[in-house]
Amino acid sequence: MRKRVEMVFLGDFEPESFAEFMRHRAGRLSVSAVAGRIDATRVDVAVEGEPDLVDMFEMACSLGPIDCLVREAYRQGQGR
Amino acid sequence: MNLVEGWYAVAIADDIEPGTSAGTRLFDRELVVWRDLAGVSHVWEDRCPHRGMRLSFGFVRGNHIACLYHGWAYDTAGQCRAIPAHPDLAVPETIKVATYHSVEAGGLILVHSSLGAEALPPPAPAPTGHALRSLYVDLAPDVVAERLLQDFTARDDGSYAGTLAGAPVLVFLQPFTATRTGLHLVLAGPGDAVAVSAASEALRNAFEASPTALEAAE
Repeated sequence: MRKRVEMVFLGDFEPESFAEFMRHRAGRLSVSAVAGRIDATRVDVAVEGEPDLVDMFEMACSLGPIDCLVREAYRQGQGR
Repeated sequence: MNLVEGWYAVAIADDIEPGTSAGTRLFDRELVVWRDLAGVSHVWEDRCPHRGMRLSFGFVRGNHIACLYHGWAYDTAGQCRAIPAHPDLAVPETIKVATYHSVEAGGLILVHSSLGAEALPPPAPAPTGHALRSLYVDLAPDVVAERLLQDFTARDDGSYAGTLAGAPVLVFLQPFTATRTGLHLVLAGPGDAVAVSAASEALRNAFEASPTALEAAE
């Protein structure tokens, strides 16, 4: 069973660094992660894969790379 | 310190008992050396893909090594097979530890420096003799190699042949970091192991006591 969720991360981002971090973690966890918006304060990403692995991806991105700070993470349609 | 591709001794085989693990370094890269309960040794990157914890701190269970941090368990190919927090998850093949080609020969565990390479490396050295002990010298690998060449002869397999306490020995260098070098001694013929061991310590002390070329130039 696969699931697809739209994740939103809010905080302070180095966009290239966060994008590379997402690519690496998505590859490791065998999920697809298609970034929509990535800027200095917000990242939108559509994630699809096994539910547990999608959850792991969200947790990994919540921690993020050293040069980014995630202040809030939520899923579209599930409220903040 | 530039990595020079090749085979390097990283441990005395008898020092890694079945069911145990140990951390070491090669060109400042962290490695875990572990032995499964079937007796087969493995050399991997010393880093759990999950949170980066050193696998050398982990636990060997049968033919798996499990990370100390969250228990992610890896089979002998480095493939993650179990995640305790997600017992029903079919772990994807992408969750895998980077591994090195390694062999055991002459009582040493030798590793080829190409991390994660799928192609088979060239044949490993096959020293004959009895691995005696390891020592670590607080000097750069190239400095240690230079010092060894004063009394030893470089061999094609990367080792150095000479005598200590009257006994024939082979010395395998392990470039540990830019300032630290491992010496793995193989007793290559008849000799008093205790005397050779003492002589090897004296050799290390002499190396560390003499100034490096850089210091001498200052």
